[in-house]
Amino acid sequence: MDAFDLDVRRHVYFSVVANGRPPTTVETAGAFDLPEPEVAAAYRRLHDAHALVLFPDTTDVWMANPFCFAPTAHSVAAGGRTWTGTCAWDALGIPAALHCDGRIESACACCSEPVALEVTDGELVEGDDLLVHILLPARRWWEDIGFT
Amino acid sequence: MVFLRSEEHLGRWLDANGWEPGATLGASKLNDLSRDWWGSRLDVGWRPRPAAESQAILDRLELVGEFWSYG
Repeated sequence: MDAFDLDVRRHVYFSVVANGRPPTTVETAGAFDLPEPEVAAAYRRLHDAHALVLFPDTTDVWMANPFCFAPTAHSVAAGGRTWTGTCAWDALGIPAALHCDGRIESACACCSEPVALEVTDGELVEGDDLLVHILLPARRWWEDIGFT
Repeated sequence: MVFLRSEEHLGRWLDANGWEPGATLGASKLNDLSRDWWGSRLDVGWRPRPAAESQAILDRLELVGEFWSYG
């Protein structure tokens, strides 16, 4: 990953934290004063390197893991915003990435009953009776990241 | 990767979907993993983490064996 792609990736993540959403390629091109196709190509390279996840056949950011920009069952209140986690792991990853406390509202995958978890000072202080299940082995996590 | 209320709910969820079991963790363990896995994600100097470093995180948390083999 070259320096430009790292800069673009950093801009995307810092924009997510600042604005609660990822920047479009047009917005990022404006920030870098570059033609949009150059930035779009960087987004695609970052997707291919698993540094971002784009919605299929677009340059719109679906995931800047652990942050997700499509609806899921996992809502995360942390750092003054309400975020979406792609999965259970990413939901707990949001307070970890932001280095702050967080509260996760989710649902049991079996019965859809609400479940809640609370992270304070990095420790899980509510929800430690819950289980998490991972279907796919680690080497297959990126085969279909939306499913994983 | 989903939350489940109990082993009974896990079994029912797997049966209902016809899925083979993968790995089950307590939520506290996943929180420990999340802290180590995602904690550097917003660092200014972030760089892609080599697979060996990801494997080391899993190993440190005693997530070992074929299922947790990352490479």
